[in-house]
Amino acid sequence: MIPALALVLGVTLGLVLEPTVPAALQPYLPIAVVAALDAVFGAVRAQLEGIFDDRVFVVSFVSNVLVAALVVFLGDQLGVGGQLSTGVVVVLGIRIFSNAAAIRRRVFHA
Amino acid sequence: MSTVRPDAPAPDSAPTPTRRVDASMSLLVDMMTNTLDEAYAERAARRTGEAEPVPESASASGRSRTLAGFAVLVALGLLTGTAIAQVRQRQEVGTGLRADLAAQARDRTAQTDALAGQTDLLRAEVTAIREAALSADAAGRALTAQLTALGLASGTTPVRGPGIVVTVQDAPAGTSKQTDPLRPGTAPEGRVQDRDLQDVVNGLWTAGAEAVAVNGQRLTALTAIRSAGDAILVDLRPLTPPYVVAAVGDPEKLELAFIDGPSGRRLQTFSSLYGITFEVRREKELSLAGAAAPDLRAASPAPGGGS
Repeated sequence: MIPALALVLGVTLGLVLEPTVPAALQPYLPIAVVAALDAVFGAVRAQLEGIFDDRVFVVSFVSNVLVAALVVFLGDQLGVGGQLSTGVVVVLGIRIFSNAAAIRRRVFHA
Repeated sequence: MSTVRPDAPAPDSAPTPTRRVDASMSLLVDMMTNTLDEAYAERAARRTGEAEPVPESASASGRSRTLAGFAVLVALGLLTGTAIAQVRQRQEVGTGLRADLAAQARDRTAQTDALAGQTDLLRAEVTAIREAALSADAAGRALTAQLTALGLASGTTPVRGPGIVVTVQDAPAGTSKQTDPLRPGTAPEGRVQDRDLQDVVNGLWTAGAEAVAVNGQRLTALTAIRSAGDAILVDLRPLTPPYVVAAVGDPEKLELAFIDGPSGRRLQTFSSLYGITFEVRREKELSLAGAAAPDLRAASPAPGGGS
């Protein structure tokens, strides 16, 4: 309940305040969001499996976001930024989906 | 639990008996099966190893950790919201720019039209003044007659008279067998091309037209009919379909000669092949505007030539 509230609060803040992101950081924002989503899905699954740990969650969240941004940044410098972002999205997407599937199995037993 | 790493032995089980067949492809397998952060399992294992749950986990440090989780989720929301807001902003900028450009193009076209109208008025004024100045003596009147004849031939004088109107139009969407894969709803083959219009105009000249105008633009010996992208330009001004080619001349002779001529037959072929529609109509009274006087390229006023 509280996590959901926190999420809604964050989205509302972002949409209402429309904080300006420095132009140099703009390409990394969507990737960071996807990486963060991956951490969140992992956390939900861990919670359902009874092995959730806040410290792991916070650390994995921050490191996921940073690593994803760093990978894309490196890719940009090497001239393969677009392809690397696609790769990151694909890998994280697979993880998100399989974690979502595990969550679904836990919740609905189906 | 399905997330145990396939090639790593469970902490307290016997060593794995056999090597997995697909061990060399473990990257993909890992990616598909090992989706949960291993740290969770490790921490959980350590916690159960510590036998008793740490008593302080419910107090100070526990609360700060919950707070950290809360903050992280707010941060995630903020990230997402910002990203969404940004994409929206970019879209708005794009559509705004496009609308802006379209408005500018319309403005400029209206401006050009207004200026063209002004030019026509001024030209009529010049002609009237010239005639008034030349009508004083016989030599002047002869000169006026010569000027009028030359103006007719060069297309700079507005003319009126009977003639025919050829209206050519793109094939309506869906009639052609082939459609443009990039732009559904339009048939590239059924679109009138610049050379089709050139052909029609040349056919009309051959049929004996004395003056020709396309969509109100009078043609002269120097007029170019070209295309830029999808638009057909006559003297750099874009035309919008339907293309109306008006020709002044003896209507009966013109119509017969045009339809039986090569370009008329070509139009009929295009019509049956690609669905281009065309129509030839006789008119008792056509009125064509004059073309802009051509720029002087080589001539310059003689020094001291006052009269």
